[in-house]
Amino acid sequence: MKQTKMPILPVEAYTSQEWFDMEQKYIFGETWQFAGLIEDIRDPGDYITVQCGFTNLLVVKGRDQRLRAFHNMCRHRGTQLLRAVGKKQKAITCPYHDWTYNLSGELTSIPEKESQFPNLDMKKFCLHRGAVETWRGMIFVHPKPKPEPLMKWLAGVPEHLGPHEPETLVEYEETGTEETIKANWKIVAENYIDVYHLAHLHSATLNMYDHKSQISSFVGPHYLFWEPLTETYFNQLDKLIPYKRIPGMTDDIIGAYVPLLFPNLGLSETESSWSVFHIIPIGPAETKVVTRSKIVEMSNWDYMKNSARSGSAWTSLMGSGTKYEGGDPETDPMASGNFFAEDVFACEQQQKSLKSPLFSVGATAIELEASVRKFQEIVRDFLEEKKGGEK
Amino acid sequence: MSGGFHSLEVIGKDFPIKEASTIRMAIPPELKSVFRFSPGQHLPFRFFLAGEELRRTYSIVNSPDKEYLEVTVKRVKGGRISNHINDNLQVGHKVEVMPPQGRFFIRTASDNYKSYFLFGAGSGITPLYSMLQTILRDEPYSNVTLLYGNRDKSQILFLKQLEALVEEHGKRLKVIHSLSEPRSTWSMSWTWKYRTGMIDNHAVTWFIHNHPPVSQQTGYYICGPGGMNKSVAETLLELGVPKEMIHFESFGGGGEVTLDFEPVADAQLEAVMGRNPVQVSIPKGWTVLRALKEAGNPPPYSCESGVCGSCVGKVVAGKAKMKNCMALEESEVEAGYVLACQSLPASPSLKIEFESA
Repeated sequence: MKQTKMPILPVEAYTSQEWFDMEQKYIFGETWQFAGLIEDIRDPGDYITVQCGFTNLLVVKGRDQRLRAFHNMCRHRGTQLLRAVGKKQKAITCPYHDWTYNLSGELTSIPEKESQFPNLDMKKFCLHRGAVETWRGMIFVHPKPKPEPLMKWLAGVPEHLGPHEPETLVEYEETGTEETIKANWKIVAENYIDVYHLAHLHSATLNMYDHKSQISSFVGPHYLFWEPLTETYFNQLDKLIPYKRIPGMTDDIIGAYVPLLFPNLGLSETESSWSVFHIIPIGPAETKVVTRSKIVEMSNWDYMKNSARSGSAWTSLMGSGTKYEGGDPETDPMASGNFFAEDVFACEQQQKSLKSPLFSVGATAIELEASVRKFQEIVRDFLEEKKGGEK
Repeated sequence: MSGGFHSLEVIGKDFPIKEASTIRMAIPPELKSVFRFSPGQHLPFRFFLAGEELRRTYSIVNSPDKEYLEVTVKRVKGGRISNHINDNLQVGHKVEVMPPQGRFFIRTASDNYKSYFLFGAGSGITPLYSMLQTILRDEPYSNVTLLYGNRDKSQILFLKQLEALVEEHGKRLKVIHSLSEPRSTWSMSWTWKYRTGMIDNHAVTWFIHNHPPVSQQTGYYICGPGGMNKSVAETLLELGVPKEMIHFESFGGGGEVTLDFEPVADAQLEAVMGRNPVQVSIPKGWTVLRALKEAGNPPPYSCESGVCGSCVGKVVAGKAKMKNCMALEESEVEAGYVLACQSLPASPSLKIEFESA
């Protein structure tokens, strides 16, 4: 296995505003971005807004049930039109001067047009279009009106995902999380795809999966990963499985599918759940991670029964549930028994050292950290290509 | 081959419903490229009945990967050709067919990710059936939703085949049947679901609302009688579907339209085609095309139903009134263009200019 010399990205890539802005412009403004799940925009007139690099897009459903994406910006003087999310809009009206657009983005009304804008041709002032596509129960947007189709961008990925049909699974409210991590988004992404740490940081929290048998690769800029269940877990699945087994998850393919779709969307498709892990860059050393999870529909009664049975079997059959014993689970991530808390901790601990003059990457695991090196190469090459030689 | 027509042999005939025949014709290997087609296109046929030359156009119903061409012809009350085909055409007979044509078609691609919405009524299903088979075969990521209207269950063409396709392709194909005059049945095994009613504004709105697209790359294909096409297209436009995504082909039956005016008897027609104008008298009730055919000097023509547009000409003097005119845009009709096969003289004299053949 080729061992690229580190560093591939300079330390400034993880600490400077300049690099952050460059990534916003050339990566987040030029790729398909995750915008939510299809049920987030259910009825005609419902909308969401998404930040893509330096542009903000609004996605609205028309009466024909089709989604449309527009730049969330009035053609008059640029005021942002819609806030966050909303329901059942009949039209899009700018709060500043009431310029109004229909759900197809056409400008339909300007107050006092005859006297103030007598020569303005409204047809020339439609909302700027973006692109939107739905796939696997998810909504993706792109700032350009006619980008490379999503399926072409994701070529090679669909065939390596789990048998899950997310559109048929149910999201229970309390299962979503939102966490701000004091680390650069790439530290978080690299942690997501780092294979080396699974058996160590998560020795007590992800020990139901057989990390030694993991299979991973890159297809285009996207990272694919699969690992099977451990023998213990597999043999006692009925007692241990926290929710219902995913339909179609047969014994020959059962495991955890954990890809990272470039640049910043992780999926976690397991034997009993399906989740998205959205890595949102806020600042050079600040990242928001939003997760949402879905499972096979269960009644409350089933859910409680399952939890109780699985919880007790877990401790007795799988062993201890925390990385370090004796800590306070409330305040010590390493005593939390929660693998996400363990990851957040590791990311923040890594970011803290980046400004030290002695910081350097000593060495990287030939195989088990190959994904980290490859990811950095992809970011570096992507920036170089998009910038086309400037700077 | 004569006049652009090739002779093809009928190698199969079956009856999908009592009142329709599916005719299968072999494509001779040397004509493989001539008869290449895109799903949705149609074939012009030429028949000679009682000495009269008659042309009709039928949509190809199979997908393009086959060594044959199939058309399905439903009997039309009083229709000469449709009944001839159903009654007399047999395996082993030859038929005269022109290469595939038509602007209502799709081009598939294996990496397409699209949601197709098809609207069909009666024999309008024929081009749509070719389209959906090809999409399911060629585009593993795409899906098709079909709204198919008929009078009652006995009229449904390809009922079993559609059921088999749904069985085979699962979520990628959804078929909703709409029956305008369903018959009640005492059968206890009647679990088959359908909507009651015509495919009108109300049905289309319901259909669109309850079948959101899977992919945001959508296409809408409509094929049925002219009135239905107009109604479906208008409803889609009104719901916000962009015009570019809506495609339709009319299956207006010339024989089903009632005339609401009295054509002039023995109108004098001057038809300008090429160098020498043709002067004919039009017997009462005859169309311009029929009169010119009789005189041995027809303009180019193909379907004789007002659909293909081959026989278009411009009225430069006098007036003509058309029975159907699906092949013409409103602006063209306003500018004086007419279809010879549908035009009846509305003035004692009439002068029409055709493009030189």
